[in-house]
Amino acid sequence: MNRYLKLVHMEIHRFRWILIAMMGITAIFQFSGLIWTLKKAMAQFEEQKIQGSDTRKYFDSVPDTLTFEWAMSNTQMWFILPVLLCIAVLSLYVFFIWYRDWMGRHTFIYRLLMLPTARHNLFLAKITALLLFVLSIVAFQLVMLPVQELVLKLVVPAELRSESHIVDVININQALVELIPRQFEQFFYIYGLGTIAVLMLFTAILLERSYQRMGILYGILYLAGCVLVVAAPFLYFGLDSSIIPLYPMEIYVLVLLLFFVVAGVSVWLGSRLLAKKITV
Amino acid sequence: MIEVKEIRKRYRRRNVLNGVSFTAAKGEITCLIGTNGAGKSTVLKAIMGLTPVSGGTIHIDGQTLMPELYEKISFVPDHLTMPAGMKLSDALRFMADFYDSWNEKRADELMKFFRLEHAVKIGSLSKGTAAKFSLVLGLGQDSDYLLLDEPFSGIDLFSREAITEVFTSDLIQHRGVLLTTHEIGDMEHLIDKAVLLKDGVVSQSFHCEEMRSEEGKSVIDVMREVYRA
Amino acid sequence: MNTSEGWTEIAFNNRDPVYMQVVRHFKERIATGHAKAGQAIPSRRELGALMKINPNTVQKAYKEMEDQQLIVTEGNLPSRITQDTHVLSQIRAELLGSAVRDFLQTVQKIDIPIDELLLMVERQYREMGAKHD
Repeated sequence: MNRYLKLVHMEIHRFRWILIAMMGITAIFQFSGLIWTLKKAMAQFEEQKIQGSDTRKYFDSVPDTLTFEWAMSNTQMWFILPVLLCIAVLSLYVFFIWYRDWMGRHTFIYRLLMLPTARHNLFLAKITALLLFVLSIVAFQLVMLPVQELVLKLVVPAELRSESHIVDVININQALVELIPRQFEQFFYIYGLGTIAVLMLFTAILLERSYQRMGILYGILYLAGCVLVVAAPFLYFGLDSSIIPLYPMEIYVLVLLLFFVVAGVSVWLGSRLLAKKITV
Repeated sequence: MIEVKEIRKRYRRRNVLNGVSFTAAKGEITCLIGTNGAGKSTVLKAIMGLTPVSGGTIHIDGQTLMPELYEKISFVPDHLTMPAGMKLSDALRFMADFYDSWNEKRADELMKFFRLEHAVKIGSLSKGTAAKFSLVLGLGQDSDYLLLDEPFSGIDLFSREAITEVFTSDLIQHRGVLLTTHEIGDMEHLIDKAVLLKDGVVSQSFHCEEMRSEEGKSVIDVMREVYRA
Repeated sequence: MNTSEGWTEIAFNNRDPVYMQVVRHFKERIATGHAKAGQAIPSRRELGALMKINPNTVQKAYKEMEDQQLIVTEGNLPSRITQDTHVLSQIRAELLGSAVRDFLQTVQKIDIPIDELLLMVERQYREMGAKHD
């Protein structure tokens, strides 16, 4: 347990600069997008006041008072791009978190495999670290929202703005609404599914690392097998819910169970490969 | 005692190890000799559980390898195995964090002996310096067995001398040392026992002094007989 | 006092047991007076490091020398060269004996009368002595 936590710490430590860089880029994008948009809106207000007419220089419609919600809906791209970037980087890191230990002049995997701790801790530490990266970026985004609201208050004079609810703000953004679910259940689905997908990939990577060229094939077959297992009820019964001889709740439990099976098998197989079959 | 019995290994459709058996005792320096590609490194990796074997058994003091044994047996591969971005001090910290058998005082002495600087990045070390630091990591552990893969290959004369000095010092006293080499060179008088690997099997295994007293042959003489035939 | 002084690396041959070569090296030093009776000798580890040989081999050599009563070890003190004059003279005799044997083995191949040989030996020995002075 102790060494597991140390391994998690080490994985985070190794990724810290990339994580900080991603947070930095996200902050720069979102803040500059927000400020730029608000400035434009203010300029449009000014012109409307001077010319007295309904100019549409920058925005088709600017409400009488600016809200955070409006700002958010007009800065979609500024918010979504860094989020997509983070997703891309983290997706690549799912692979790199393993392969980096085999790469280069100094192959760290030797040392990791020789640690006096059960090798499944390596597996668990890497998945934990990845989850923590994701959650810390999401948390960072959550923390940034009130700060961004503060920025709005600083840029826009009080008489020109009105309050908006944070939930509406999140809802209006296509990326945030997916990343920050408002119900625990949804949170559980999104991040649970993501975790299971990463576990499957980890095991596929370890198959490749254990059996080299044949391992690539095994890895792909494993992933296909996992998808097949999860999709089995639908393949068996078809997608038409009216003819499925099960209650929706039963299907739900069945699929959930299959997901747990896939997760469990992935962890078990991955640990076993690390313990018995892995080669440096 | 490290006991290797009949281990087999296939790699890329070739039988690299074809039933290799030998022992390496505590308190002795055993040298695994073989030409390049004879599978010496594979044997060490197999003992350390870094690569699976397709047959045979390996016992360390009667036990099969398990994670706890990594406290007792340390491995110095032919290259440094710490991330390039780490400083030497980070790597020492890492060892201290993970190994109960890590001996900080000894590691410090070794750092001084090899004149290594703590603040240097691992990625910037020359081959000789990296080999020395690798040795610090291996010897810094209070392990009963020490495995070294080609500790003298491809490094400069002075690094060689410094490393030789370690072999005759109390740093390895009472430990079992198993090292590999493809040329015996100036190690002839350092080793207790030689194990000659050829065509995936052990063709000779002997104590050097016994070989000299009983047959009047040096290790090199035996190597000539084995590898020229 | 530094006990390791004067004990340097020696050129070992690979075919004779190294521990026997170490013993012989000691005998030569004693016979030539480089090592005095009763003098402390380096520890096993020191000598191993100095001669760049395996400490187990040094251990074996010291054991052999103890058996031959060449050195004595009392408790935890460093080993010393024996003060037993009988042993010391024996070493001298042994070394001389083996040197003469080697010499004779070479000379035997050349058919030379003993008187002539002795004369030659005597003359050359004097010349060497003269050069040394």
